[in-house]
Amino acid sequence: MLRLLERLASRPWLTLALIGLLTALAAAACFDFSKRELKIGIDPATERLLPAQDADRAVLDRTRAVFGDTDPVLLTLRFDDGVFTARNLAAIEELSEQLKQQPGVSDVFSLASAPNLLASGEDVEVSSFTQQAAADPSRIAQLAGQLAENPVYHNSLVSEDGHEAAFALSLHDFDEAAFRAAGYPGRLLELAREVTGVSTVRVTGAPVIKRATTDALLKTFMVTVPSVLAVIVSVLLLAFRDLRITLAGTITVSVALVWTLAVASLLGWKIHLLTALTPVLVVTQGLCYCIHWLADYVQHSDSKTAGARAHWALKHASLPLGLNALTTVAGFLALLINDLPAIRQFAVLTAIGTALAALLALTLLPALAQIFGNGRYREPREPFYHAVAAQLSRLAVRSRGLIISIAVLLLLIGLGLATRLQPNSDFVRGFPEDSAVRMDYEAINAGFGGANVLTVLIETHVTDALTDPGRAREIDQLAAWLRQQPEVGAVYTYVDLLKLLNRSLNDGDPAYAVVPDNAPAIKQLLVFAGGDQLKRMLDRQFQTAAVVLRVTVDDAATLTAFAQRVEERLAALPQPMAANLTGSSLLATRTVAQLTSGQWATVALTAALIWAILAVIFTSPRAALLALLPNLVPVSIYFGLLQLTGIGLTPTTSLIASIVLGISVDDTIHYMVRFNREARSRGNEAEAVQAALAGVLRPITLTMLALCCGFLVFLGADMESQVQFGALAAFTLFLSWACDITLTPALASFARIVTLWDMLRLDLGHSPQHTIPLLSGLSLRQARTFALLSNMEKLPAGRRVITEGDYARDMYVIIDGQVEAWVERNGERKTLASLGRGAVIGEAGYFGQRRTANIDATSNVRLLRFDSQDLERLRLRHPRIAATVFRNLNRVQSERIARMTAMLN
Amino acid sequence: MRTQAFRMRPLALLMAAALLAAPAYAGPAEDKLMSCMRANIPKTLRIQEFDLTATDRAGASRLLRGKLFAKREDEKLKSMLRLVAPADVSGASYLLLEGDKADQMYVYLPALNKVRRINGASSDGPLFGTDLSYADIKQVNNAFSGSAPTLEASEKIDGRAVKRISVVPHAETGSRYSRIRAWVDEASCVAIKAEFLEGETVRKRLLSPAASLTKSGAYWYAAEATMSDLKEGSHTTLKVTGVKSGEEVANRYFDSRNFYVGN
Repeated sequence: MLRLLERLASRPWLTLALIGLLTALAAAACFDFSKRELKIGIDPATERLLPAQDADRAVLDRTRAVFGDTDPVLLTLRFDDGVFTARNLAAIEELSEQLKQQPGVSDVFSLASAPNLLASGEDVEVSSFTQQAAADPSRIAQLAGQLAENPVYHNSLVSEDGHEAAFALSLHDFDEAAFRAAGYPGRLLELAREVTGVSTVRVTGAPVIKRATTDALLKTFMVTVPSVLAVIVSVLLLAFRDLRITLAGTITVSVALVWTLAVASLLGWKIHLLTALTPVLVVTQGLCYCIHWLADYVQHSDSKTAGARAHWALKHASLPLGLNALTTVAGFLALLINDLPAIRQFAVLTAIGTALAALLALTLLPALAQIFGNGRYREPREPFYHAVAAQLSRLAVRSRGLIISIAVLLLLIGLGLATRLQPNSDFVRGFPEDSAVRMDYEAINAGFGGANVLTVLIETHVTDALTDPGRAREIDQLAAWLRQQPEVGAVYTYVDLLKLLNRSLNDGDPAYAVVPDNAPAIKQLLVFAGGDQLKRMLDRQFQTAAVVLRVTVDDAATLTAFAQRVEERLAALPQPMAANLTGSSLLATRTVAQLTSGQWATVALTAALIWAILAVIFTSPRAALLALLPNLVPVSIYFGLLQLTGIGLTPTTSLIASIVLGISVDDTIHYMVRFNREARSRGNEAEAVQAALAGVLRPITLTMLALCCGFLVFLGADMESQVQFGALAAFTLFLSWACDITLTPALASFARIVTLWDMLRLDLGHSPQHTIPLLSGLSLRQARTFALLSNMEKLPAGRRVITEGDYARDMYVIIDGQVEAWVERNGERKTLASLGRGAVIGEAGYFGQRRTANIDATSNVRLLRFDSQDLERLRLRHPRIAATVFRNLNRVQSERIARMTAMLN
Repeated sequence: MRTQAFRMRPLALLMAAALLAAPAYAGPAEDKLMSCMRANIPKTLRIQEFDLTATDRAGASRLLRGKLFAKREDEKLKSMLRLVAPADVSGASYLLLEGDKADQMYVYLPALNKVRRINGASSDGPLFGTDLSYADIKQVNNAFSGSAPTLEASEKIDGRAVKRISVVPHAETGSRYSRIRAWVDEASCVAIKAEFLEGETVRKRLLSPAASLTKSGAYWYAAEATMSDLKEGSHTTLKVTGVKSGEEVANRYFDSRNFYVGN
């Protein structure tokens, strides 16, 4: 892989041409240049986040299949002089007619279309309120009272205060795109003002809220992406203070974004609440990868050509960068255990985008960096970071116990609070308080006893079953029970209509405002007099009914509790009636519940995957656990914060833990690797803590800043859920950074680790387990593990390795080169032996004796030095390797004693 | 631009009430077509049996079977509809008397054993819960009344030559439609297709298979027609059999006190 990357880097123009071609194709796949718009559609419907086979979604789909769209658009007009005047009623009549002619509007329910059933002798009046007013203005005074007595219209056509009139617009086969293309709801508001002259016009309903959601998503997409690109330019300029570097990095992340969008377009995926977050995630991740690669690239700019620097940077950065991408991708892919297709799409798309960003950071970025010239880049000034690192590392070493205790305490507190977390969703409260969509919703909700429309779907699968008087009465009792619930503002059933018809056809006698006693009477009434209203409440075979509710609540907790109560009541309906509560807002709540129910499993899987990757990287499960802890603490605090602030688990906040875990572990890896290197070279872990922190503080601070700025771009989004996502993700990443500069150093001093890339890079010569007796019986991987837990030293020819008479606790194995052992006796140098690869030297010191001879390097040598501490560490972490090494050491000693005994004899 | 009222009578005799309206006036081309269509209007009409199959958007359907009697007196339509099936609505009857200012409607429900006069019924409301409304019936079968009649084009449907004509319904009728467009078979002068527009959108479409064109005596009619509500996604199919025209129909069928009595 590295060779391929190096080949590409050595042909920058060819690489650029290839990637340019692919980018042009990708751009064509995701952008319609003729229309100047994205080809990727927007899908604001929360219910489509659910799997197609989901039972709740199926109920809503069946309801819509039978009764058409269950989500009407509610339009209200405020008349200062009250609704019931001849002029205002005429205006309502005129507007109703105009509304019917609007695209997609299949039905308008208003004072102009709702029949006001009145009986007088053998005559039954079935004209609407406005028609009655127009025919006889003297009847206007009675209309308000008649309306109030009507259970179907009460509080739904005119507000409680009598000043607002409502129009419920049914839209059929009119999806979000058509709604938007028709210019709704603005067009409806304009029409209402124009026709009636009324200035206070409000509009709400699920289609309106979905439209606002679409706008918000589009804004998120069209505004946050350029904003985050601006952040990138700023961060790159701040980090490298060079325009060419900044341009190279910006182009790289932009290409990653275009490719990711092309993938979404080719897969036919739309932008929804979750995938709207992907571009920013891909861009910020890509920025981090660029910073890591560029940090290596700008080094030695005074002594190396651009090509040489690119190769050097590739050699040093490709493996850690690839592994970082792997942990991040693992974090996203852990979300795949969730059943929701929307989450899966988000996970796959973001994982692909992250991988592409990493790939481009290792291909396009080196090509661009070389093409942009052999610049000399200013080395970053780091005294500030060094000073801070020194203080922090002193604190970490000195107060190690305290820091770890506080971290564990916070972890436990966070987890304790997290156990009480509840799912939360905002049907409309996700919008700012002063937004028109929210103000209109809340005004209509308050004025008309609820703006949130739910439906109880009653199915019997038996033709004419619902014309049975017993079943009609059951539904009537259900409606009465529903009206008693505090959340319910209005209930409509076909039985209400039936009772009104029965009364009207029986001379208006209130005694007949009941369900008729026989099925033929019910059927005849419904067949002859049902009208348009019946279509919304009863199917043509009289076997399926819709009980329509208007409720005043829409927050997840209240709605869930209400739905639970209703479903218990529905379960009491006799066979063959099977009933289910459904509706857009309810489905949104249930979607969130499903979304968040897998939260713990997702976080656990993410942590497990990352731990497994770390265990491979650090070749030690224990070291992996230590590296994971600093990342679990901020996630735990984050969950605690969700509970304390009452934000709860929403579709967006439930993503943060996995995302942050996947991203923040990169910094931990960087620190641990650096610490390992420093500890090995210095032989002093306290010094290594500081040196490692000084080495990584600047890059991890810069990447933290880049990521936080990227996420904070969401603060400009319209929807609260996205603002929360941005703020909380940035805060949690900040916590991660704080843990990485305090807790990670405190923990690191426990661990000398062996990293995967150390192992891959370590050269022990040909077949060390067969050519070095001390490593006999080990596998190559085990031999390298032992070597990496020891210290590899390179010495030039002539350098003294061991001095006779010294006290020292370490011993050596010669990896390659030659040494000579000699002693001086009576002023004469006596050569004892010439030793080469595999020889063990200095073992007397290791066993507590003074050095018994001098050893000098007679050629350049590489020696593996280890002491009892190293072996003890090996025994604790890799007992099998340690046992073999101890056995081999005994064998070496035994052979040496045997040889010496033979010499004495 | 001429703004002449006209009435054309095509098609399906359904509630045949229809076929009995006043003559229309139009331009030469329209006049010729109108005259031909008017020739299909009998003085009296008796439909032995009609089937109305109403199917909702989910595919659930309901069949209503009935018979219809209609006659024209003083250019005013009288029609009576009686359901015979299903059994639980059998005998339910509906009487429509066209008036100068407003039509009179009476309904008889055997289960209540009561006749009621219905005032102020919306002519746009669904008839028996189907996709047909009284206004549609009047427009298609009786009146197609309106202004600005325009003969738009000559076309072919199912291989048959048709004339496309459109009309704007009279404002005073309170029609929900902005325009009605009909395709009139040249050979029979029966409209085998009609579209009812709300604004620029076709709300309903009526289609009769050309094969269903049938002649009863001197009169042509379509024995089958399907009205689709394109916004609701539902449709209603009407089939008529045993059409007799020009025969005497007893007055009791149109008497508001006795219309429901007998067979």
